Amino acid sequence: MLILRALQRGSMHGYGVAEWIHQTSQQVLKVEEGALYPALHRLELRGMLSAHWGMSDNNRRAKFYQLTAEGKKRLSAESQRWARLSAAVAFVMQAS
Amino acid sequence: MGSSLHAFLLRIKMLFRKRRMDREMAEELEFHQAMLREKLEGQGISKSELNQATRQTFGDAGRWHERLRELWQFRGLENLLRDISFSARMLKKSPGFTTVALLTLAIGVGANTAIFSLINGLLLRPLPVPHADQLVVLSIHEGGPTPNYSFPAPFFRALEHQPAIFSDVFAYNNNGRPLQVQARSGSEDVPGMEVSGQFFQALQTPPLLGRYLTAADDNTGGNPAGLAVVISENFWGRWFHRDPSVVGRKLVIANVPFTVVGVMPKRFIGADLMQRPDIFVPLSAEPIVDAPRHNIDEGLNAWWLTVIARLQPGVTLQQANAALRTVSGPILHAADDPNYIAQEDKAHFRFQAEPGSGGYAMARFFFRNPLLALLAMCAGILLLACLNLASLLIARGAMRERELATRLAMGATRWRLIQQLFIESLLLAVLGTIAGIAVSPLVGSSLAAFLTSSTGDPTVVLDTSLDLRVLVFAAVIAIVSAVLIGLMPALQATAGNLNDHIKDGQHARQLHEQRWILPRILMALEVALALVLVVGAGLLATSLVRLYRSGVGFDPKGLANISFNMDKQQLEGDALMRVYQEIGQGLSHQPGVKSVSFQFITPLSHRGWNGNYSAPGGNTHVIWLNSVGPNYFETMRIPMYMGREFRWNDTNASGLKIILNQSAASLLFPDHNALGRQIVDPSEKTSYQVVAIVADAKYSGMMDSAPPAGYVPIQQDEQKKPSLNAVVRVDGPMTPLAATARSLAARLAPTIPPPILTTMNEVVNNSVSAQRMMAILSLFFAGCALLITAIGLYGTLAYATARRTSEIGIRMALGAKRGQVIAMVFRQNAWVAIAGCISGMIAAVLASRAMASLLFETSPHDPWVLLASIAVLLMIASCASLLPALQAARIDPILAIRCE
Repeated sequence: MLILRALQRGSMHGYGVAEWIHQTSQQVLKVEEGALYPALHRLELRGMLSAHWGMSDNNRRAKFYQLTAEGKKRLSAESQRWARLSAAVAFVMQAS
Repeated sequence: MGSSLHAFLLRIKMLFRKRRMDREMAEELEFHQAMLREKLEGQGISKSELNQATRQTFGDAGRWHERLRELWQFRGLENLLRDISFSARMLKKSPGFTTVALLTLAIGVGANTAIFSLINGLLLRPLPVPHADQLVVLSIHEGGPTPNYSFPAPFFRALEHQPAIFSDVFAYNNNGRPLQVQARSGSEDVPGMEVSGQFFQALQTPPLLGRYLTAADDNTGGNPAGLAVVISENFWGRWFHRDPSVVGRKLVIANVPFTVVGVMPKRFIGADLMQRPDIFVPLSAEPIVDAPRHNIDEGLNAWWLTVIARLQPGVTLQQANAALRTVSGPILHAADDPNYIAQEDKAHFRFQAEPGSGGYAMARFFFRNPLLALLAMCAGILLLACLNLASLLIARGAMRERELATRLAMGATRWRLIQQLFIESLLLAVLGTIAGIAVSPLVGSSLAAFLTSSTGDPTVVLDTSLDLRVLVFAAVIAIVSAVLIGLMPALQATAGNLNDHIKDGQHARQLHEQRWILPRILMALEVALALVLVVGAGLLATSLVRLYRSGVGFDPKGLANISFNMDKQQLEGDALMRVYQEIGQGLSHQPGVKSVSFQFITPLSHRGWNGNYSAPGGNTHVIWLNSVGPNYFETMRIPMYMGREFRWNDTNASGLKIILNQSAASLLFPDHNALGRQIVDPSEKTSYQVVAIVADAKYSGMMDSAPPAGYVPIQQDEQKKPSLNAVVRVDGPMTPLAATARSLAARLAPTIPPPILTTMNEVVNNSVSAQRMMAILSLFFAGCALLITAIGLYGTLAYATARRTSEIGIRMALGAKRGQVIAMVFRQNAWVAIAGCISGMIAAVLASRAMASLLFETSPHDPWVLLASIAVLLMIASCASLLPALQAARIDPILAIRCE
């Protein structure tokens, strides 16, 4: 879900996704490379992402991913679910 | 489900772009690594620690690459491909084993498919006409053991219209002589068929051009427009060069013009699967094309038609037979021979119909049982090959225990290992069966050529081409053998406790003994099967030897048979006899010729002529006849007990004479006083004087004993223009005789076709061709079986001994002598061989009973054959087992223990 969210703002390469998640989560969440790329490829296989090769900021060839329509739908569904889940946990934890 | 479909499609796309995908993945990971490096550099980490850091966070690039790649592949397919290449490498590493395995499988599968294609062509294939299952073959039951499939014309015509039972009834001649067609220069013999009016209508195949023959053509003189013929597409191409205006052209057959009214397509072959006639003439035109014979006129004396009918839709076979039974009586009683009617009434004369989707072929009767027996033997060989391979693979698998155990420990599932071992055996099985199937058409067509040449008729065809049935059969065989071979070793190898596998190596013997039980049982089964095959071959070979030794009654060595066809020349009666006499003299003047005579029927050619005769005041008996020339018995070397040979002056004027063989003489004159007496033919009211008694000789076939027979002089033959065979006793080469006969014929009877020379040895061999084929092939299979079993016994024992090297080394170090070691190893197989022989003997005794009908003067339980087979098998088993035993005794104890 986090990966999908990272790509909501536009296409990025894998390293960029990891960096964005790391920075945006206040350095709390660090995505292991061993989990990142399998996840990216799995999402691509399933049709949530589409990929193309392009030039990165420092003129290196990199594989860029972006959300597809499927991916966008999946992202909104996942985030709604997450909101419900975290709200429910909050209720439980705040109960006296 | 959309996402998984998407994944599937993408994976398929990746299947074709493997290399590019690999490159891209590597590049992607490299990019990430480079970016990481830059960031760390920016953070101030030194160069040396850089590599360590990246490696720490990133890990081994190869492994990520592997994981990503796996994501994109079809796991099953990749595993399969990997297993196949692994198995191929393993097989290449032991070329001896692989070659032997492939060879034995190829033989087994190839032989089975070849024999089955023969059986398919001869017995199973239906006629290529619509609704062939509605066709039935008619026969005449006269109370004998087998029905008669040849009809005389009057009976056929009486059955031709039975609309209640049959929608169509047709007949064709089964005495296939070629038609003499006038060509641009001279005449040519063309294979043809005389067919009745409903022939084409019943076979429901539309013509390519023009029309086919109908009932209107089947009249004397043809239809009002003249005599019509229909030709085959092949003939149209060959003779008329596919001229589109062929309809209406004339063909001159036997000097009479016929009009071509139609051309039949290539797929139409008539009603006899083994013939390919080029010209179809109406049945009523038989006296024209078959001159000087006139089978139609001969009425009940000529049995020359095969009759086939098409059942009315909705009529069952039982209903048809019941209806036939009711019409049999009236048809019989309409015949014009009261004696015959009375005789047949007593024998419960009736017509019968049987399923005939494949038409009728006489060759089937000779070859059906031999072919089925051969198929059983082939199945046995295939089973043997499969058992052999399975046990060898199991034995070999036991050698790889360590490897398999290690892989199990490293995380492979048992199922995965079984899959891989199965693929290994499957690869062997598939390659072997493909090799066998590739070879089988060649084997099948050479066997078919052997069978058809032995019938003596050059126009006979046996179609063994691959069709759906043969392919399905081959596929089934392939699958069954693949599973048999593949499954057992795979299951066996991965059974058992993991620890035991790794721990023991070559030490823990007890647990291993158990694992050798299955291969031993398989080997014992193999020995039993091999014994059954050897016994079968022994019985057939003994039967064949006895068949040859039983003699034919005459001496076929150095005897030539020259057949003359006198149909197309004008002389007959006494004038023709003078021609024969001159031919005889001309032949006798050749160097090496001892004596010359003539015969009407060549012995052992399955032709026959019989009549009823009785001694005055005695019972009527069936006597088989032949008409022969002077000096016949001297030429044939048939012993003459008393009396004299025929002479050239024994013409009709000097009184009818006959020579009887021993059986006929004792039958007609039980008081043994036949010489000089008279016998009568009750129907013709003619009387013959017996001038000699000769020894019995075989008549139409080798397997039947000599029947009571009588010989009449050729000068007194009822036929005006008989076509006789000259028999020549020659000391030396026989081929010059052919040229002599040709020049004599050219001089004395220029219009006849050239005479044909065959040796009596050939005739004798042809008459037992089925038995010869069986004996030769069964010996070949028995040899293969022995070889395969020997290899199996050697192989399994060698593997087993190799595993026990250290144990043997210890024993020898502790003082065991060489002889004891040899005996210890040898004993292992001894039990297998003995158990196999005992069970094999029981199976052979039971199975050989089914062969009794194929054997001549040989009991299926012939003790000599059984004993000899056991001896051969035990000897082979001993030799095969001795080799590994000797190798074991040569083990150096110190090396053996050290290796461990």
